[in-house]
Amino acid sequence: MTRLLSSALTLTKRLFKIIFSFFYSIGEIVEFFLKCVKYFITEKFYVNIFLKQFLKIGFNSLPVVGLTSIFTGMVLALQSYTGFSRFSAESAIPNVVVLSITRELAPVLAGLMVAGRSGAAIAAEIGTMKVTEQIDALKTLSTNPFNYLIIPRILAGIISLPLLVIVGDIIGVMGGYLICVNLLNFNPTVYLQNTYNFVEFIDVFSGLVKASVFGFLITFMGCYHGFNAKGGAQGVGQSTTYSVVSSSILILLMNYIITSFFFRL
Amino acid sequence: MRKKKIIVKDIYKSFKEKVVLNKLNLDVYESESLSIIGESGSGKSILTRCIVGLLKYDNGSISFGNLNNINNLNDKEKMDYMSKFGILFQNSALLDSLNIKENLKFASKQDSFNKILDEVGLPNSILKKYPSELSVGMQKRVGLARAILKKPEVLILDEPTTGLDPIIARQINSLIKNLVKKSKITTITVTHDMESVYEFADYVAFLKKGIIEWYGKARKINKSRNSSVINFIKGIN
Repeated sequence: MTRLLSSALTLTKRLFKIIFSFFYSIGEIVEFFLKCVKYFITEKFYVNIFLKQFLKIGFNSLPVVGLTSIFTGMVLALQSYTGFSRFSAESAIPNVVVLSITRELAPVLAGLMVAGRSGAAIAAEIGTMKVTEQIDALKTLSTNPFNYLIIPRILAGIISLPLLVIVGDIIGVMGGYLICVNLLNFNPTVYLQNTYNFVEFIDVFSGLVKASVFGFLITFMGCYHGFNAKGGAQGVGQSTTYSVVSSSILILLMNYIITSFFFRL
Repeated sequence: MRKKKIIVKDIYKSFKEKVVLNKLNLDVYESESLSIIGESGSGKSILTRCIVGLLKYDNGSISFGNLNNINNLNDKEKMDYMSKFGILFQNSALLDSLNIKENLKFASKQDSFNKILDEVGLPNSILKKYPSELSVGMQKRVGLARAILKKPEVLILDEPTTGLDPIIARQINSLIKNLVKKSKITTITVTHDMESVYEFADYVAFLKKGIIEWYGKARKINKSRNSSVINFIKGIN
């Protein structure tokens, strides 16, 4: 009986420890965010660093986002044809492709690809700076690391992701077009006309809102985990993993929340 | 007459259960060179990080001039406080995404760095190079140049000769000696290299288990009767 009670007590203790550390982490993330807002409003903004990061996160991610989008558009066209041909609704393929790409696939896939590419790079770079005392050096050189390292990256993510998604939308739709016209014998003009007539502003806009939020999540989690890296190479590796995993999960979670918000409009 | 620059009083710092600084007291005097020595893990670097304001201590106080307890400074005041220090970090801590000129520009907005590079014995040609293209010894020299460029009130040298071969270490020691003696700047050096102590320290504080176990003039350290100091100098555990 005493043993059972002791085990229950240990289990309860562990459970409380997990709950406590979860809320502690949430508190730390909120504090980090508030510091970003405060320093963004009150202190210097490094335009040149922002532009560099904008190129790194946005422009340099174009090939990977482009490739993802074109193949997704192509697969979507083929799979839709398989389903729709069973009840003679092939003409709806352009509509399904454009709707799926703009509302869902381009922002989510671009988000996940950029999380793996740029989010990991941000966490690794800032994490290395942390463990090699470069961030401490910045502080003693009268440079606020939030303004120099964090804020430009977050803003670059928020702005560049929607632009990447616009490119992804166009390439994704063209992927569907290539398959339908060359493989499934669709009329090119009709395909494009259908796409153009069917797509609405809200479809593209909701995708861009998602992209902006994802851009924030990717860069914020990369910066947060990098900034809190501890130890040496192992700590940097861990922060990179945490950054990619947390931003990917948050992207999927926020995707549902934003989708349900626009669903009600 | 010696004038106190930094007063460390009853400072206590722990990480979870591990006590690193245990009610430590230490005074740093103006225009003097103090070396803090001790075994690895004795708390030397933590102490300097607390003094600079990079780390908050749990208890006690650190005073600097008119500032009474630097733990109480707000973010803005902390940034101003930190700018009083020039630090040569253990791994130099040069920003590796920037070239040497851009690194030095963090410390001073001037366009020409010929004079400072000359002082630390480096050619001008390195200005366009990146830290990864330099040897460890050269990186230390650039780190030193960056530290003294902003004319700090206190110079902190964290293990200035660690990772260097004996010849380069001797060159760095001699370079620091010339700079420290010439500018009469208050210097705190964290080291376990006795060559550095003999070369440019005025006073020595021996740190063990979070407290100052021995403090005295550098030239008298070899006459110390403290067994820990004797063992440290002889390299015995």
